[in-house]
Amino acid sequence: MNSQNHFHEAAYLPKMAKIIETRDMTEREKYFKLQLEEPLGHKPGQFVMVSILGIGEAPISISCGPTDEKTLEMVIRKTGRLTNVIHGMSEGQSLGIRGPYGTGFDLENFYGKNILFVAGGLGLAPLRSLIDPVMKDRERYGKITLISGCRTPAEELYRSKTDAWKQIEGVEVIRLVDRTANLRWDGEVGLVTAPIGRLELNPSKTVVALCGPPVMYKFVIMALDMKGIPHSQIYVDLERRMKCGVGKCGHCQINAQYCCQEGPVFCYSETMGLQEALS
Amino acid sequence: MKAYMTTLNEIQEWMIKLSSKMPVFFPKRAGEVSFKFEQIENKADIQFGAYEPTIIPPVKKLMPAEEDLMTYKKGDDGSVDIQAVLDREARVLAGVRPCDLKAIFMMDKVFRDGVADPYYLTRREQTLIIGYACSNPCDETCFCSSVESLNHTEGADLMIYQIGAEYLVEELTEKGHNMIGDAPFFEIQDAAAKKIGFQVKRPEPFGRMFDAPVETLPETVFSHWKSEVWDKHVERCFSCGTCNLVCPTCYCFDVKDDVNLDVASGNRKRTWDACMLPGFASVAGGHNFRPDPAGRQRHRVKKKFEYLPMRFGHGSSCTGCGRCGRQCTAGIDIFDMVQDLIAQGVSV
Repeated sequence: MNSQNHFHEAAYLPKMAKIIETRDMTEREKYFKLQLEEPLGHKPGQFVMVSILGIGEAPISISCGPTDEKTLEMVIRKTGRLTNVIHGMSEGQSLGIRGPYGTGFDLENFYGKNILFVAGGLGLAPLRSLIDPVMKDRERYGKITLISGCRTPAEELYRSKTDAWKQIEGVEVIRLVDRTANLRWDGEVGLVTAPIGRLELNPSKTVVALCGPPVMYKFVIMALDMKGIPHSQIYVDLERRMKCGVGKCGHCQINAQYCCQEGPVFCYSETMGLQEALS
Repeated sequence: MKAYMTTLNEIQEWMIKLSSKMPVFFPKRAGEVSFKFEQIENKADIQFGAYEPTIIPPVKKLMPAEEDLMTYKKGDDGSVDIQAVLDREARVLAGVRPCDLKAIFMMDKVFRDGVADPYYLTRREQTLIIGYACSNPCDETCFCSSVESLNHTEGADLMIYQIGAEYLVEELTEKGHNMIGDAPFFEIQDAAAKKIGFQVKRPEPFGRMFDAPVETLPETVFSHWKSEVWDKHVERCFSCGTCNLVCPTCYCFDVKDDVNLDVASGNRKRTWDACMLPGFASVAGGHNFRPDPAGRQRHRVKKKFEYLPMRFGHGSSCTGCGRCGRQCTAGIDIFDMVQDLIAQGVSV
């Protein structure tokens, strides 16, 4: 064998994992907790390839923080053929999992800093994998602010989590909807960019983590620019439709980078030169 | 490593003998003007020289249009048996031109990068490659010399040069040496001089030439994100993806599952995909990162001349084979696009 050709024959093979807990979070999003053979050993912001044999495979963000437990939590939006079938599954059934893939967030970049999390819609699911370890190790970090927005009250995710985080000292949670749609709502109405203006953000001490739909990044970063937050202190978690997760299929390519290899978490100062990265 | 002089007849007999041990693929005439890498059956199948590049490049033998990644079988007890499907069949690709050797060299880099790809690399290890040096440009479309593919030999196990009525066979690897076996070729010591003689007899310029050296192309292409060149050349693009399918350094794929009739078993396979197709860069929420044909065309050109060269530190991953321009129904040619960008200069 050529010494340059080291490879694992099982590189593309999933391992089966049993669903041990599942519940509807909204009309389109469903929560899943899976039992694994081994702890996943993931970093916040990484993703896995999830599949049903015979139906297909798709990249899904990991929603739980790093853990020694042999479990994996995900929030899956019903958006295509595969995720439609996944939504019909219940406890005891199995999904194929491979990964974790991608770079993820480095917690060290947040140590000793004030943190601003900005989540748009389903973006809160991957961001929770970063918020969880931060809240668990609260004393390592400064002031913490979470801005979480979604379209209507019916689309709100992780309400019990945001309520619990709000109780922790030095943590502010701002929940928004674009419109109330005539539903009861006890948060604010507006876009996630709206509250940024009134926040007291110390540019040298604040690190920002962003995750949301492509349209959100540009406007949030414009608002952060007004506050003087350096681009090197902004981390973005990007979405692409990976088919392989291992830097081969080309679908997640952003210029010379593969989102599944160099991302999906990028420091904004490194992506701002990358065209097509944010929209 | 040794070198030999021999005749066409001896090469034909040697390759036929080789083909009794493993399949030997060689460009065979398919239709009036086209050639295709097919298994050789008799001596007449082995004719060097007068063939245009095959429509489908030989590197695609290492990454077929459709291949199984794995099979699965569900048991009655809820268990699942998943097996990788690896093609371990030995084969020879013969008569591979330098542009196509360079493509294989580039794909070796791509598939070894990061998480190595077991499917490509298993085939690659089982594949012997016999290159054939070009003495004339294949047609007016190729521009291999301009992107430094013309003298590429890395990746080949043997190289064959036609010198007058005779043939120089040069060993490049141990595998190549073993392939020669007991062939009655006449060993020579002056292969280097013979190769220089071969090269100086070639026409100059050799095929179309860019107006700039290859090492400047990544910077030139990089500096043109917004350019009327993209719009000008895609006006007539159908977004059909043919340029991707015939490109020897296009490797993107889609992954799909197939279920057998028993419903309990099936396979997961990958098929060629094409970044020129409209939905290639769409994500689940419906956002498309490259909705316009011009943006997709730019991506294709940048991938060849900027992204892959930046990633792998190599001048150009376009091999200059000319296939995309030759096959494009709308007559769009990547050479013209890059030439237009060169004419615009490096914008800061």
